[in-house]
Amino acid sequence: MALMITDECINCDVCEPECPNDAISQGDEIYVIDTAKCTECVGHYDESQCVAVCPVDCIVADPNHAESQEQLHDKFLRLTATPA
Amino acid sequence: MNDMATLTKKDFESNQDVRWCPGCGDYAVLAQIQKLMPQLGIPRENFAFISGIGCSSRFPYYMETYGMHSIHGRAPAIASGLKLARPELSVWVVTGDGDALAIGGNHFIHAMRRNIGLKIILLNNRIYGLTKGQYSPTSELGKKTKTTPHGSIDRPFSPVAVALGAGATFVARTVDSDLAHMAGVLRRAAEHEGTAFVEIFQNCIVFNDGAYDAITDKSVRDDNRLLLEHGKPLLFGKERNRGIRLRGLEPEAVTLGEDGVTVADLVVHDEAADHSGLAFFLSQFDAPKLPVPLGVFRAVNAPAYEGMNNQLHADAEARRGRGDLAALFNSGDTWTIA
Repeated sequence: MALMITDECINCDVCEPECPNDAISQGDEIYVIDTAKCTECVGHYDESQCVAVCPVDCIVADPNHAESQEQLHDKFLRLTATPA
Repeated sequence: MNDMATLTKKDFESNQDVRWCPGCGDYAVLAQIQKLMPQLGIPRENFAFISGIGCSSRFPYYMETYGMHSIHGRAPAIASGLKLARPELSVWVVTGDGDALAIGGNHFIHAMRRNIGLKIILLNNRIYGLTKGQYSPTSELGKKTKTTPHGSIDRPFSPVAVALGAGATFVARTVDSDLAHMAGVLRRAAEHEGTAFVEIFQNCIVFNDGAYDAITDKSVRDDNRLLLEHGKPLLFGKERNRGIRLRGLEPEAVTLGEDGVTVADLVVHDEAADHSGLAFFLSQFDAPKLPVPLGVFRAVNAPAYEGMNNQLHADAEARRGRGDLAALFNSGDTWTIA
């Protein structure tokens, strides 16, 4: 499933540059993850880069966007496909 | 907008871009304090944040309150003056291990002993971050930094022990990555009358990353930290089956069930004890031998300095009438230089 940032976020900006999918941006209150772009780093890394760097562990799986490893991999392929 | 009932965290966020490094523990402290402010029932215009110099001292810029980014190590002195002149204000000092304990050590000690109504928040990252990585008074023995390339031979001291030694009435410690714990400790500090001192273990991601891994890494932290709770036995560990026992004056970590040890053998935390003996004991604990205590070490009631100062003035005025500064200057042994 895609990841989400909880309201424990402290706006420290450490996650945004780590995201290989450019899925993270600053929202109105806290940083947010674009579900359509988040592959949990599948296709890029073995572990989710934002989760690894978050100093307060506020990035968790988004229960409203459950996706299998295959679906995440498909998303990765879609996102990285070169337009024909 | 200034109606207290409707104040929110947002009302305490200034329009300044926060300029700490991405991932800095300071963000966590800022967020918790901004969250706490609207819960205290104090009008926003009655808050003041005073700082000295260092990364942590950028704090007042980011608070939508009154404040002053003052001189290195002297924030407690300036804040003391403010509190005496305007005792109704909630005055906060945000400082760091260099600012409070090196250049500001003297002011720090006297703020602690006076019991003046300041909330002193010390962000301890065990390094000079703003000046790019020199050792500080809390850097570990043997630590290699830019100014100690062969390892530091300066023995670090514990800010909690210094505060207790100076007679502080409220002394607590928390850690940047445990938001719920930090919120609880900061609230206790805010509600304390007199000097409230909080040390926050704060990770400097650039110049001293991982300084507190032993007590923040989820896989090991429960075995290395001791969460203090008033009136409760000193228990720790993932299974909460380890505890602290005193053998004479020697504290030791024991395991429940081993050698017949039971909870009844453990020290019971008493933050309100008249003396600071137990709190001082706890301030000496360090991992891995003994778990690092987090929470309130000491919280006792004592008259606050600003109240005593006001009383002193009122009594003197009642006895001798209102003073006249010009008359005082021209009284007694004065002479004219021809």
